[in-house]
Amino acid sequence: MNHTLITLNKLAERLLRGPILGLLILLAGWSAAAAQDVIQPANSPVSIRVTHLMGFEGASHNANGTLSIQDDSLQFQKSGKPAVEVKIASVQDVFLGCQSKQVGGLPMTLGKAAVPFGGGRAISLFAHKKYDTLTVEYVDTNGGAHGAIFQMNKGQAEALRNELVARGIHVSDSEDETKQSGAEVTSENK
Amino acid sequence: MKTNKRVSWFVLAAVIIAMTVALPPQWPAETRAAKSGSNIPVAEQWAVQVDKVDASEVNLAPSFQIAIYESLLDEMSKTKRFKQVLRDGDRNAGDVSDLLILKTTVEKYTPGSETRRAVTTVSGATKLTVHSQLCKRDGRVILERTVSGNVRFMGSNLRATHNLARNVAKTIKQSSLPAASPSAPATSGQL
Repeated sequence: MNHTLITLNKLAERLLRGPILGLLILLAGWSAAAAQDVIQPANSPVSIRVTHLMGFEGASHNANGTLSIQDDSLQFQKSGKPAVEVKIASVQDVFLGCQSKQVGGLPMTLGKAAVPFGGGRAISLFAHKKYDTLTVEYVDTNGGAHGAIFQMNKGQAEALRNELVARGIHVSDSEDETKQSGAEVTSENK
Repeated sequence: MKTNKRVSWFVLAAVIIAMTVALPPQWPAETRAAKSGSNIPVAEQWAVQVDKVDASEVNLAPSFQIAIYESLLDEMSKTKRFKQVLRDGDRNAGDVSDLLILKTTVEKYTPGSETRRAVTTVSGATKLTVHSQLCKRDGRVILERTVSGNVRFMGSNLRATHNLARNVAKTIKQSSLPAASPSAPATSGQL
């Protein structure tokens, strides 16, 4: 009896040291990362993980970071870098949009190209994801017009929109870019 | 078999050496100096103010309009053709003597799909065509062109705006602008 208990204990220890422990660590890490997508610290009403596509002065293109509203400013902070911000009073208009993008980037594209018999094309049918886009129009101290575009996970723009509306900023829902037809739009058609 | 392998390695090495000799790497500073248009005296250069994109006649998403505007500012700076690149509404523009205004009107827009491009290769291209005008303060047009930009194979839809801005900047760089003095004849063309 005693011998059986000792054997079971050893087996459990081995399992915990091995792949199960690794799996647990992986799961913990993944859940922590998922929780970071929408961060809501006590002093900030809304803080969202975004990708800055272009236009926010002082931030590099395609930079991942956190977009938040701090007091009277809209702030973008790339991890480990100082935050860049614009005064909310200088924001003139905000547009929400939606677009579909392929996931995986260049490695995925190369991987798909390597799949024989055109299998990569079939993968492309499923390897895309919808994102929300937030376009912010603002002016600098000289009166120069700026436009910044941020991309975030689907549904996250809603929280930011509500916060901006609460602060008196005009927010427009732009057309869903994924729903637009492939038809050509020309000025002559109008 | 072994000899064949050795020969192919030799050929590969020869090609790499030939390419290295023919196309020596350019350091950023050298490239900047070469491309800066240093033969144009700064005093004769114009300043340019980039106006917001007019897409009133085409149903273009605001993110695309902003992306074209921001990309144009980036690309115009890269040309080194202008002594200053100013934004729409910049109060400093009033103090600049030789100022040109870049007006961009979207003429045609074909919304594409990144997924369609990835699946079919031949369809789903995002295409943009704009009419660009370089005007003086008094509204006199000194250069106008119709320029296109698109994304056909790889890249997101917004990449079309970057390609378009690059083409506009390239067109302006290749065009001969009149000297930065008041009386200059108007030229027009079509690409």
